[in-house]
Parts: sequence; C-alpha cells; structure tokens
Amino acid sequence: MKGLAAAFLVWTLLSPKGGGSQAWPTHTACKDGGLEVLYQSCDPLQDFGFSVDQCSRHLKSNLSIRFGMILREDIKELFLDVSLFSEGLSILSYSYPICEEDLPKFSFCGRKRGEQIYYAGPVNNPGFDIPKGEYQVLLKLYNKNNPMVACANATVICS
Amino acid sequence: MMAPPVSHFLLVVLFSASCKAIISLDQMCTEKEANKTYNCENLGLREIPDTLPNTTEFLEFGFNFLPTVQNTTFSRLIDLIFLDLTRCQINWIHEDTFQSHHQLNTLVLTGNPLIFMAETSLDGPRSLKHLFLIQTGISNLEFIPEQNLKNLESLYLGSNHISSIKFPENFATQNLKVLDFQNNAIHYLTGKDVSTLEATNLSLNLDGNDIKDVEPGAFHSKVFQSLRFGGTLDLSVILKGLQNSTTQSLWLGTYQDTEKQDLTTATFEGLCEISVESINLQQHHFSPLSSTMFRCFTQLQELDLTAAHLRELPSGIQGMNSLKKLVLNVNHFEQLCQVNAASFPSLTDLYIKGNLNKLSLGAGCLEKLENLQRLDLSHSDIEASDCCNLPLKSLHNLQYLNLSYNMPIGLQSQAFRECPKLEVLDLAFTHLTVSAPQSPFQNLSLLQTLNLSHCLLDTSNQHLLEGLLDLRQLNLQGNHFQDNSISKTNLLQTVSSLEVLILSFCKLLSVDQQAFHSLGKMSHIDLSHNNLTENSINALSHLKGTYLNLAANSIRIIPPDLLPILSQQSTINLSHNPLDCTCSNVHFLTWYKENLQKLEDLEETVCANPPNLRGVKLSEVSLSCGITAVGIFFLVVFLFLFIILLIFSAKFFLRWKYQHI
Repeated sequence: MKGLAAAFLVWTLLSPKGGGSQAWPTHTACKDGGLEVLYQSCDPLQDFGFSVDQCSRHLKSNLSIRFGMILREDIKELFLDVSLFSEGLSILSYSYPICEEDLPKFSFCGRKRGEQIYYAGPVNNPGFDIPKGEYQVLLKLYNKNNPMVACANATVICS
Repeated sequence: MMAPPVSHFLLVVLFSASCKAIISLDQMCTEKEANKTYNCENLGLREIPDTLPNTTEFLEFGFNFLPTVQNTTFSRLIDLIFLDLTRCQINWIHEDTFQSHHQLNTLVLTGNPLIFMAETSLDGPRSLKHLFLIQTGISNLEFIPEQNLKNLESLYLGSNHISSIKFPENFATQNLKVLDFQNNAIHYLTGKDVSTLEATNLSLNLDGNDIKDVEPGAFHSKVFQSLRFGGTLDLSVILKGLQNSTTQSLWLGTYQDTEKQDLTTATFEGLCEISVESINLQQHHFSPLSSTMFRCFTQLQELDLTAAHLRELPSGIQGMNSLKKLVLNVNHFEQLCQVNAASFPSLTDLYIKGNLNKLSLGAGCLEKLENLQRLDLSHSDIEASDCCNLPLKSLHNLQYLNLSYNMPIGLQSQAFRECPKLEVLDLAFTHLTVSAPQSPFQNLSLLQTLNLSHCLLDTSNQHLLEGLLDLRQLNLQGNHFQDNSISKTNLLQTVSSLEVLILSFCKLLSVDQQAFHSLGKMSHIDLSHNNLTENSINALSHLKGTYLNLAANSIRIIPPDLLPILSQQSTINLSHNPLDCTCSNVHFLTWYKENLQKLEDLEETVCANPPNLRGVKLSEVSLSCGITAVGIFFLVVFLFLFIILLIFSAKFFLRWKYQHI
C-alpha cells in the first residue's frame, strides 16, 4: 500500500499543471443593495481581476469599475461582446468597440501585449433597474487578430 | 518479501514515464514555417528546447521562465532575426548575451522585471533595429546599454517610471524613427531634454504622461513625423512649447476616463507659430465652438474632431481654405447642413460616421465642396425616401461614397446622377427600396466596386444593375432570390465586366446552367453558405482560372462529368459540405487527391457519409471500389458452379422429355 501511495504522490507531483480542465476560481465583482455579481475567467491561460463600485439593483449610469490583467495581445483595437441569458434563454447580445484605430475611447487603448494593465474609471453605461432574477452573462474581449483577449462567465443575482 | 517493493518501484517508474511523455508533448513549440519560425509561448520553459533547429530565425518565446539570460542561453540559435521574450520573468541580462547573433533585428523584452542589463548585453547584432523595453521598470534612460544602438529605428519605453526624455550623451538617436514613451511620468519638457533627440522625422509618442509644463520654444526648429500628447490636460502649454517646430501630425485627443478642460480660443493661440499638417482633437469639449477658434488653423490640411460633442460647426469660419480632410465622426449633428461645409472649399475627404443623432441629409448641404472625393456617412441613422441627387448635389468629383449601416433609403432611377465619377459605392446593411423597373445606378459608368450586401434588394428587378459598364466587384451577400434560385435571365446579365462576385448567405438552392453566361471575366466567385447542390457547378463551365468558394453548401456527390469544370479553376473551397465518401463518389475522391494544390481549407473538408467515415478529412480517405482478387475468385467459382448446374438440369430435362416419347 505504501508503495502505491508513493507512486500516486510521485504521479501527482509530476503531473503537468493547468491542462485545460482546471477552472479559475469564481470571484465576487460586487455584492450590495440586493445585487450580487460573480464572475469566472473563461480564458484557459489566465485569470483577471474585476470589481464594480456602487452595486445596486437600481444600476446608476456611468459606473466606476476596477480592472487588472496581463495583456496577451496588443489592444490598439479592442471589442467587447456581451451575451445575456436568463434561465438558459438568450435575452440580449451586443457588440461594442472599446478601442479603434480612429477612436481610442480609453486611455489604455494602444497598450502592448505583455503589459500589465490596471484601469480604475468610468465605463459610460446607461442607468437602469435590473428586474429580479438570476442572469448569466458572457463577456468576451477580442481584437482583430485574436478571438480572445479576455473572457468572463458572470452570474448576476438580483433579489 | 522483496517482490512488492519492486513492483511498487516499477509502478512509480511507469507512472512517471507516462507523465514525462505528457510533459514533453505539452512542451512542443509550434512550427509556423519549417526550420524558420517557431512559437514556444506559454509553455513554462526554462531553456531553449533541443527540438528547435539551429536555423530558427523568428522565435516567439513569450510567457516562459528565464530569470537569467546570458551568452549560453541562445548561443545555439545564431540565425535569429526576431526574438520575443515578453514576460519571461527576466531579471538579469548578462554580458555578451547576443554576442553571436549578428542578424538580430528585433528584440522584445516587454513586461520583464529587469534588475540590470550588462554594458555589453546588447552587443553582437550588426543592426539591431527594434527594441521593446515596455514595462520593464526603467526609471532612468541610463539603464539602457547604449553601445550597440546606433542603428536603432524604434525604441519602445512605455509604461515605465521615466520622468525625463533626456538621453545620455553617448546615446545615438539619429536613426530613430519611432520613440514611444506612452504612460510614463514625464511632466516637464525642457529645451535641453528635447535637444538630445538628434533624429529628424521622428514619431514621438507621449500619450498618457500628464504633461504639466513645456518650456516655451523647447521644440524650436525640430522636425517631426508625428507627435502625440494624448490625454494632456492643458493643450495651450503644449502648443506654446511647440513654437517654431514642424510636424506632419499632432495628436492632442483625450479619453473618456481622463480629466478634461474646455478648449477655448486662447488654447489654440500657440498654433499660429507651428507648422503642422494634421491635428486630432478627439473627445474634447469646446466652450463653445466659435469661428474665431480656428484663427490659427489656416495652414492645416487635416482636422479630426471625432466625438467632440459637436451639434454644429459655426458658419463663417475664415481661413480654412487649405483643409483637405475633415473628420466629424461620432458627433451630434441633426442636419447635414449644420456642418456648414462652405467654410472648407478645398475639402477632398469628409467623414461623418457614427453620428449619435438621426442625421437628415437635407438638400445641397455639401454643394460648395466641388473637390470632394471621399464621403463617409455610414452608421449615422440616415433615412431618406428619395436619395441621393438632392443631398449630393454638385459633388461632381466624388469617387468614394459610404452609406452603409443606415436606415432605409429609397432610390429612384439615376439616383447618383450628381456624382458620375463614383468608383466605390458602399451600401451594405442599408435597406434599399427600389421599385422595379428602376435602375438607380444608371450613369455610374466608372463605378468599379459596389457593396450591396444585406440590402434586402428586390433581385427580380432585371434592370437594377443597368448602366454599370465598368463594375469589377459586386457584393450581393445576404440578399434573396425568387424561388431561392438564380434563373437564366437575371440581374447579373448587365454587368459583363464583373471580376469578383459574392453571393454568399443568399439561401440559394440552385443556379441555372446559363445564369453566369454573360460574365466572362470572372476571377473570384463566392457562393459559400447557401444550399447549393452539385448541379449548380454546371453554371461555372465557361469560367477558367477562378477562385471558387463553395464552402458550407449541400454538395454530396460530384459526378465525373463535372470534374473538368473544377479542374479548370485555380482555387476551390469545398469545406463544410456533406460530402459523400462512398464508392458512388469515387471519381471525385480520386480527383480530389490529385488536385490537393488547388484546394483550400483541407482541414475542414470532411466526409459526411458513410457514418464510419464521418468527420474524416477527404484527403485521408482511401477507397477501393474495383472488384478485389478474392471477389473475382468467388465470382469465377460461382459462375462455374452455375454452368455445371445448368448443364445438369438441361441434361435431366432432355432425358425426362425423351423418356415420354
């Protein structure tokens, strides 16, 4: 038995880490005022940090967020795809340009691959009330050459 | 008693062996070009793998682990031209690391926590041209070993802790073309700092540096290709500092997340003493925009006021006679006339893309722009029931017009009579209402490119494309045809000079054999994402040497008589079709293997039938559909037995018959 345990130990020690099946931990982006937002990175290569100030089911316009990650792509061009699901049904999906060659909206546009970025600032969203319920949100950041700069599976619980 | 430990030991060896196999598989670099280009990123490597050939020229080695690099690290790969070491946790670059790399042209060290670079660490390359030292913790330009940088063309120093652009005395900057200081802590620029830049025609990027003060005249008699001061709070300080300098383009835009100051007439006073061709002021607020504000813009050729919160441009702007290009994207105009275009008589390019209000075109708002060649009005919520002769009045020199992504637009016959020199017309994703038998594009005899994708066209109108004598490229993607088929008589018959035709996503079920008969000059035809079967291939019989895209259709079996049609084309894409890999398709399968060089997207060209071959690449299928030796043997035996049986039964029958006589 001891030998078998040793074999198992050696095997676990030598096993390659990551390997695709390992999921990133679920983080809380905000939890306040009847609203809870949880997210998990769906980029197999890395996790990222994200939080929203002032979380409430009466969502204010022009929210402030904090965001930190390592860029694996240049972001001279950066686009966001958002898909919103409730009870497995697609409610809404839209695409939004964040950085474009002829309109870099944010100061971080144009940063290079390999850079660590930290952004704390407004996101220019409209204000609205979130109806009660549980929602799944899939957010994807990508550029022209690569389908993934960042990816998040989020759950919004509004009670 | 010895046996169990031994077996356990064996087990351990077995386990670890299997794991090693997995690891070595994991560590494989991907080959992008044989013996030349390799990507080894994200593999957690601690050294250059032995599998890389000595001849490697382009190596992407980012996101690995190399705390120390020294002359042994890359010594084997002496042919390196491009080396990317992004985020390899490099702390030390020791002496003579690149001593034997004479060809090295580009070195990327972005995102490494560099502690020290040895004096000779960059010696070796005969002509190191591009050096990336972004976010490497540099606070002083003395940190960069300067000995071997005299050929440097671009130096990227973004996201560091640099507070002065003053280069050390021996640093050779004369060949620099790009110098990037994005997101540093440079708050002051003095004449002394700037004078250390010996390069002419430099592109200097100081975006995100919060520049508080520039010594007036610090850039005196300097010549730049481009200067960027993105996100700077006080523009007047910059403009005063640029006195008596010359620059092709000056980027003074700001961002959503940056603190802003309203721009006033006083802001631009310094501009009178600068020679500049192109200015960008994106996302600024003007307080309010008056005609006097442009007093010092007289020399300007290009002005970009993207997202500048504009509702109108003031009328009576004086002295903007030489402006050639005006960008007014993402503003709040309600009427095209609010641009007051008459102030810019020399304009050749006008962009009003992505307007945030519904833009109404009005009549003759641009009629004073006689030299206008390019006009972009896309994504601007434009709705017009009768376009476009009144709105585009007198634009006789217009060559490029973009009206894509707008609200429904109605077109009558000769809808573009006012712009007879149009060469490119983009109407994609704008619903066009054209009542038959009108020909809206009549008289556009110079038009070469027409994009009508997703325009919800009435394709049964045979006269729709009449008058397009020189049309080379036509995009009809996403339009629908009657009965989902293109018949013998169709709207393409009038565009005989067509070279590129896109008919993807048109829900087509069939194309008549004669449908493309008048199109003899085709070089590119895209029929992908329809429901076409092999019968439609007949329509291409008169075409030779074309690029033919038949991807994502319903092609199953291609009979032998259609193969010559495919053979005479230059490139064919048959991916994502439910192709048959049984013996009934054996002629095509044989042809496919013999013509692999003609075929595109081989990875996605797979069998759908029979079930056991589903998903197998066509290039890997081998069928034997002739009769095998065993088959022949059995057939012969069977025939032999059958003949014997026949003889015996005949004999028996005859005997039986004659017995009764």
